[in-house]
Amino acid sequence: TPRHATPSIPSRSLPARQPANVLEEARTRLHVSSVPESLPCREQEFQDIYSFVESKIIDGTGGCMYISGVPGTGKTATVHEVMRCLQHAADVDEIPPFHFIEINGMKMTDPHQAYVQILQKLTGQKATADHAAALLEKRFSNAAPRKESTVLLVDELDLLWTRKQNVMYNLFDWPTRRHARLVVLTIANTMDLPERIMINRVASRLGLTRMSFQPYSFKQLQQIITSRLNKVKAFEEDALQLVSRKVAALSGDARRCLDICRRATEICEHSSADPSATGLVGMSHVMEALNEMFSSAYITAIKCASLQEQLFLRAVIAEFRRLGLEEATFQQVFVQHQALCRVEGLQPISVSEGLAVCQRLGACRLLLLEPSRLGVLQRIRLNVSQDDVLYALKAD
Amino acid sequence: MSKRKGKDAHLPVGECITLVQQILRERLCHQQLPDKPDGIEAQHKHLLELLKRTAVHGESNSVLIVGPRGAGKTMLLKCVLRDLLEEKEAQKNLLQVHLNGLLQTDDRIALKEITRQLHLENVVGDKVFGSFAENLAFLLEALKKGDRSSSRPVLFVLDEFDLFAHHKNQTLLYNLFDVSQSAQAPIAVVGVTCRLDVLELLEKRVKSRFSHRQIHLLSNLTFTEYLERVQTQLCLPDDFPDSKFAQDWNDSIQTLCEDKSVEEVLQRHFNSSKDFRSMHMLLMLCLSRVSVAKPAIKPADLLEASRLCFADAKANMLHGLSILELCLIIAMKHLNDVYEGEPFNLQMVHNEFKKFLQRKSNSMYNFDQPVIMKAFEHLQQLELIRPADGSSAKTQREYQLMRLMLDHSQIMEALQKYPQCPTDIKQWAMSAFG
Repeated sequence: TPRHATPSIPSRSLPARQPANVLEEARTRLHVSSVPESLPCREQEFQDIYSFVESKIIDGTGGCMYISGVPGTGKTATVHEVMRCLQHAADVDEIPPFHFIEINGMKMTDPHQAYVQILQKLTGQKATADHAAALLEKRFSNAAPRKESTVLLVDELDLLWTRKQNVMYNLFDWPTRRHARLVVLTIANTMDLPERIMINRVASRLGLTRMSFQPYSFKQLQQIITSRLNKVKAFEEDALQLVSRKVAALSGDARRCLDICRRATEICEHSSADPSATGLVGMSHVMEALNEMFSSAYITAIKCASLQEQLFLRAVIAEFRRLGLEEATFQQVFVQHQALCRVEGLQPISVSEGLAVCQRLGACRLLLLEPSRLGVLQRIRLNVSQDDVLYALKAD
Repeated sequence: MSKRKGKDAHLPVGECITLVQQILRERLCHQQLPDKPDGIEAQHKHLLELLKRTAVHGESNSVLIVGPRGAGKTMLLKCVLRDLLEEKEAQKNLLQVHLNGLLQTDDRIALKEITRQLHLENVVGDKVFGSFAENLAFLLEALKKGDRSSSRPVLFVLDEFDLFAHHKNQTLLYNLFDVSQSAQAPIAVVGVTCRLDVLELLEKRVKSRFSHRQIHLLSNLTFTEYLERVQTQLCLPDDFPDSKFAQDWNDSIQTLCEDKSVEEVLQRHFNSSKDFRSMHMLLMLCLSRVSVAKPAIKPADLLEASRLCFADAKANMLHGLSILELCLIIAMKHLNDVYEGEPFNLQMVHNEFKKFLQRKSNSMYNFDQPVIMKAFEHLQQLELIRPADGSSAKTQREYQLMRLMLDHSQIMEALQKYPQCPTDIKQWAMSAFG
């Protein structure tokens, strides 16, 4: 029986190939997974978290901190870096030793699994959720000699919400116990999460130590990429600036920025056949990558649709114009469609075929449809703006 | 096939036909992979390079293949995998996990399937041990222990990707994308979907972890290319045992495709939809008419097949109704004309029908109320009419409001073709406003 199974992925028979040229080297460095030792542009946040946790560990007290920010702004990476530095400090005996454990709300199947995971990471014991909660309760409320501080990182806090909020309550209540010596760092996306979903007694225990990570500005993004590339000369300066400006304008997500750069190196590699290329990633490559990743495919999809599908979209718009509404039944649209067929000199199609055309457009979500068992009575809406449809149909 | 006879060997016609059927059916129904992808070389190259980097360099990636149904998404993926596995380095290392949103309807099932296909150590035989939470923790632990250069890369293929986005919290997607964006075992996540708005389904933290690489399969096929495609689909390969027969067959296909009426039919199909699956359907219907007595596809076969494809389902259903049921349908049509699509009930339909009977001298169609009721219910069972609102049990059946699920053109078409339709009924149907 697999009671003592060790989780592992089998290892390769042939070793992985190492990067061979500059572009491949750059691509490896630009992969989101290769997090640098110290994060650029997050020095202030690093300092704040560091001093908060350090003071709690030195005093032997407990506390909570709430960290928020949109995805891709370096929250988890910064906290990990803080913990690495503190661990190092503890190793050289600058501060008392401590435990660090980490849970992630998205990586468990149920909020109550948090207890199980915390217990397992603290002591290695396996228990059911209820039993684990009781054991943890006992551990944090009783005094014990030679007890180490514990730092608990809770990522994706909003997933731990339950109707009675007892998981959150416990997580924030334990640090307030006199003997717990527990520091809880919580991470979530929205700034007003405590006010929005927590009941008063939970929010008050979370306290007011908050920190929010701002989205990266274009300068910061540029600095991040340059520091990652670290003297590997693969990009033109202007190309980097374009990427960072574009991403900063849209979301300020560092992951997006790195992914686009990575894609640009690929495009550069493919187009390296022509002799004018300098071997550097230039503006044109970056533009192509940006277009590929940010543009929506609706307009191309409409352009590539078959003739009857295009006619149907036109009929939908004609019917919307006639009704002055944004919704029409298939029956109404079909009348318009037949008229359009006649205008275009095509053979009119049967209702079954019309429904099939309509369903195809619905399947790729150019139209929003009611369930198809309503047949000719189903109501139709457009999922794209009318202007987009007209532009796509006119352009050819 | 082991039949490697001389090129000039003449086989009997029956055997040839069997072979033709076998080869073409394989091609049309079993979605046999082409030797090289037509018209999607760029996409093929992009995906192949991407997966090769995962398999050979251990780079983690995620990508979505998006395109309408029948556009060849799975074909593209299979071609890429076939080409990828020709390389020894990839073949030895790559682990594959195939999931389908229609089979793995929640994360619990998907997780078991992943564990099973990866042969992790908590699998004995085909059975996966442990609870859902334990399985997830086990899988994540296994992936976390791996690293880029030493562990085997894993390819996750998520067919019907949009259905995975409806799972609770999108836990599976978050974890897969998270692994692909962190320094753990190298994985490639390939999602296949037909929804263009699939990114809007993802939660923002899941979306942030996805690399936003999308491969769009939108065919801008022209009609000439479509015609060529039809021809290549029907042509026999060069290694057909009887070269004489193959030559004749290919010539007959050539003349078929040049026929004016055939071209017209194909144009109509092309106008209606560009996807290959409906084309294969049409060709399949033609192919099934080939026999020893008629060893070639004639234009008439294609016309007949096209007629079958374009037949209107509801109009065909109307041919099978009795006269009384047809009369009720006509009465409903008049009601729809007069009251502009307002719902009706049995009483109103019956009254309308009675008005028609009064105008006529002989009362051949003078049915009792229960008979009419029965006919009405029959129509409802065929879903030619449906209740206007969901509350079916509350009102009495006679007074329940109904809507007609037919278009006028369908009723008219059915009347034209109805076998021995009485003239007065036809006239009544044609007359505006009853």
